[in-house]
Amino acid sequence: MWIYAIKRIGLSVVIVLLATLALFALLHMIPGDPVSIALGPRATPEIQARYIEKMHLDEPVVMQFFIFIGNVFQGDLGADVFSDRPVALTISEQLPFTLVLVVTALGWAALIGIPLGCFSAVRPNSLLDRITGVFSVGTIAVPSFLVSIWAILVFAVMLRWLPVIGAGESGDIVDQIWHLILPAFAVGLGWVGYFARMVRASMLEVMGENYIRAARAFGLRRRTIVYRYALKIAILPTITLIGIGFGTLLSGAVFAEIIFSRPGIGKLIYDMVLNRNFPVVQGAVMVTVALYVVITLLSDLVVAWIDPRVRTTL
Amino acid sequence: MANLLEIRDLSVDFKTPRGRVHALRDITIDVPEKKILGIVGESGSGKSTVIWAVTRLLAGNAVVEGGQILFNGEDVLGYGEDDLRRYRGEQVSVVFQDPMTSQIPVLSYSRQMADIQYRRSERSAAEKRRVAVDIMRRVGIPDPEERVRQFPHQFSGGMRQRASIAMALMMDPPLLIADEPTTALDVTMEAQIIHLLRELKDEFEATVVVVSHNLGLIAELCDEVVVMYAGEVVEQGDVRQIFYRPKHPYTQALLECDPARVLEQTRFLPTIPGDVPDLHAPPKGCVFAARCPKAFEACRKERPQDHEAEPGQIVRCHLLAPLFAEQGGAESVSEAAPSPAGANGEAATEHDGELLEVEDLQVRFRTMGALKALVNRVADPHVDAVLGASLALRPGETLGLVGESGSGKTTLGRTILGLLPAHSGSVRFDGRELTTLSESDFKPLRRDMAMMFQDPIGSLSPRQSIRSLLTEPFEIHGLKDLNVQQEADRLCDMVSLPNNFLSRYPHELSGGQARRVGVARALALQPRLIIADEPTAGLDVSVQGEILNLMADLQRAHGLGYLIITHNLPVVRHISDRLAIMYLGRLIEQGDCDSIFERPAHPYTEALVRGVPLPDPDKRRALVSIEGEVPSLANRPPGCEFHTRCKYAQERCRKEAPGESELAPGHRVRCHFPLNQ
Repeated sequence: MWIYAIKRIGLSVVIVLLATLALFALLHMIPGDPVSIALGPRATPEIQARYIEKMHLDEPVVMQFFIFIGNVFQGDLGADVFSDRPVALTISEQLPFTLVLVVTALGWAALIGIPLGCFSAVRPNSLLDRITGVFSVGTIAVPSFLVSIWAILVFAVMLRWLPVIGAGESGDIVDQIWHLILPAFAVGLGWVGYFARMVRASMLEVMGENYIRAARAFGLRRRTIVYRYALKIAILPTITLIGIGFGTLLSGAVFAEIIFSRPGIGKLIYDMVLNRNFPVVQGAVMVTVALYVVITLLSDLVVAWIDPRVRTTL
Repeated sequence: MANLLEIRDLSVDFKTPRGRVHALRDITIDVPEKKILGIVGESGSGKSTVIWAVTRLLAGNAVVEGGQILFNGEDVLGYGEDDLRRYRGEQVSVVFQDPMTSQIPVLSYSRQMADIQYRRSERSAAEKRRVAVDIMRRVGIPDPEERVRQFPHQFSGGMRQRASIAMALMMDPPLLIADEPTTALDVTMEAQIIHLLRELKDEFEATVVVVSHNLGLIAELCDEVVVMYAGEVVEQGDVRQIFYRPKHPYTQALLECDPARVLEQTRFLPTIPGDVPDLHAPPKGCVFAARCPKAFEACRKERPQDHEAEPGQIVRCHLLAPLFAEQGGAESVSEAAPSPAGANGEAATEHDGELLEVEDLQVRFRTMGALKALVNRVADPHVDAVLGASLALRPGETLGLVGESGSGKTTLGRTILGLLPAHSGSVRFDGRELTTLSESDFKPLRRDMAMMFQDPIGSLSPRQSIRSLLTEPFEIHGLKDLNVQQEADRLCDMVSLPNNFLSRYPHELSGGQARRVGVARALALQPRLIIADEPTAGLDVSVQGEILNLMADLQRAHGLGYLIITHNLPVVRHISDRLAIMYLGRLIEQGDCDSIFERPAHPYTEALVRGVPLPDPDKRRALVSIEGEVPSLANRPPGCEFHTRCKYAQERCRKEAPGESELAPGHRVRCHFPLNQ
């Protein structure tokens, strides 16, 4: 297990480096002069010269990359073009909002979706199974911005139960939780369906395996067989799906962040792209990519921890 | 003698979209205490359904229509959930067919075995573990303290089956059911497991029910035998009555079909013509009537009664009714084998040269990437799957390539066809070197060489109709001017498939029919060499013969050269002119089929030849002929690679690799001390 984990972590570091390189190369391949793109056509030559020096744009591209990587390792992601604020600071302010939103959304989706899938697999074609089936397909099909808008209409405008705008007063945990409910509901709803479908399908497959029949022949309790034997194997693809979902939502929660006017990484990237504030975009995308890799790494490690066969494959 | 288990008039139906399948009809079986009872039958006989009924694990669409299953006098069919938990695992336990899929892969053995002991709450975790280690030791798993911590994928096939048996015996159940316990195993492993089951039965004083299609296994292991056909018990009696004085025509035919029982070498094996009846609507009369050569009027109209032919031997057949006794003929039941006159490769004399020559062939597989090898400091990240293999095949000749799993026999076959790259050595087809050919130069030659793949249904694309499967070879080789529809009809006739099968899809075929399609596909372009990988694997005994006879017919008609890759010695014996035995990628013995069977020179060959369980209860083997398991290819033993398992091994064998020596013309062996010469 340890050997697998070390190898897998090493591989992740390589992936992050390669992804950074690719990102860097992509930004450099955008046609046009980076200076006038960043500062606009009306900047004076002095301002341009200062910018070139600050961003090391007079160095060869390869050197620029190493300077960038070196700075990243020191926690320096560059500075905002307009305000000169460190990008790292901006991101560290915004990131927690996104993380909290994504964890909550996927968390409640998993808590509801996995048991639903499990129950419907244990009793296929029962009433619960049929309801779950219709519900899953429905929630997967409805786009999350639509869910957001309806959620606002119903729970905030008509019923006036929940607040709509922002993330709540900073420092007031209860208020923040109160503001989290609707966005988390909207983002997570589709995933309930995904998880339920996924778990149901793999559970049904596993329940038909020979080793489940063998376990029954040895007289094990049904509870043991379903939850300790079958679920342990059937959950594996879903763990991978949670990892992927997490990565996708880091920047994909942008709909909810815009609709609910919440701060967050997705909204940050969206705003900064519109403002052509490239250092911030670059830093934010890099952090997202790194987080994505870390999450995938975690889900792979969990899978390897459950399934001993995986450990020997790397 | 008391009966531990009594099955009384049991009938089971399966609900399917096409109506009810009457899978079991009025089954009555007595299982006497402390005996081994064998249930024999081909696929569709309902023998597995009996097991699932006894363990109350029938699939959800099964309905028990009537009858009783009495265990120690209690009716199992009336058990509720709580009774069942006390019954399964404690009173009756099962050893499953495929140890590769019947153990949960994510739990260690100690955990699985502790779970089985959950009812013994008085045992502490440490005690449960000790019991697990103890039972692992008793089934012959070395270092049980270490191994019990491992997971199933870390065990070899033979060891897994031992672990299965250990788990089944864990709670010391009075009744042990073994479902095809050796079918997934190699010959040498099979012999070890048979031996182990016999030992444990005495040690645990258990009653055992063995279900199998393998007559050798049944004869070797059982005291009593039940023969099933199409959901009915057609005959039961003690093992000698069944094997020496079978009364039911089906039992007689089944025994005659077993290639291991056909003693004289013959190219044509007996078969049972016809198919198992459709159990949606079982025949009104006797279930076997449609295929029975002795059938007469009453057989088709009236259900036969059970008759006691000898004390203890019960036969369900009209022939035994006093009224009809004189009607039965004495002639052989199975289809008379066509006379094999001139079968032995007469076509061969027409050609002079060798069709296929393999010389010093070596095939290597990479075990890890270059980077990984560098990191782990592995100098040579390869294993040799085939080493220094040389063989030759003439037109019209059949060479049997025999070995256990992992011996490299399939790799050798695929390399000959250019499906895998050779590392060194040469393969010549018709005098032409193949290993250096580019794919585009090879393609025209592929018309002359064909492969029959191992899994008859799995190797046919499920989305293509039989017609398109049969005409595909013509399209691949661009033979557009041919009337492909006519060709499809011709091929169908050639392998005796009715023409209306052309519009069917592979899943609608039985194993034997799918195998016929495989033969037809291989023959489509009129090749001269056919490489057949396990041509009879997964087929019933009565169908095996059909396929082998078909292959022999086609060989005579077209002068084909066959390379038959198999682990099944009784089968190759009947169809091969010569044999080549493989072990760990090397050909260790080659020669005439007869001389290898009569005077095997290599100890491994001897073990294989003697290791086949014979369907003859008086020829049970006292000893396991070969110990241990096949070593890993990545870790070849020094010296003679077989010395780790060879009972004759001497100092020299451990140090020096034997070269190949010729004992008689054409009989070559790789051994320092050849046997019996």
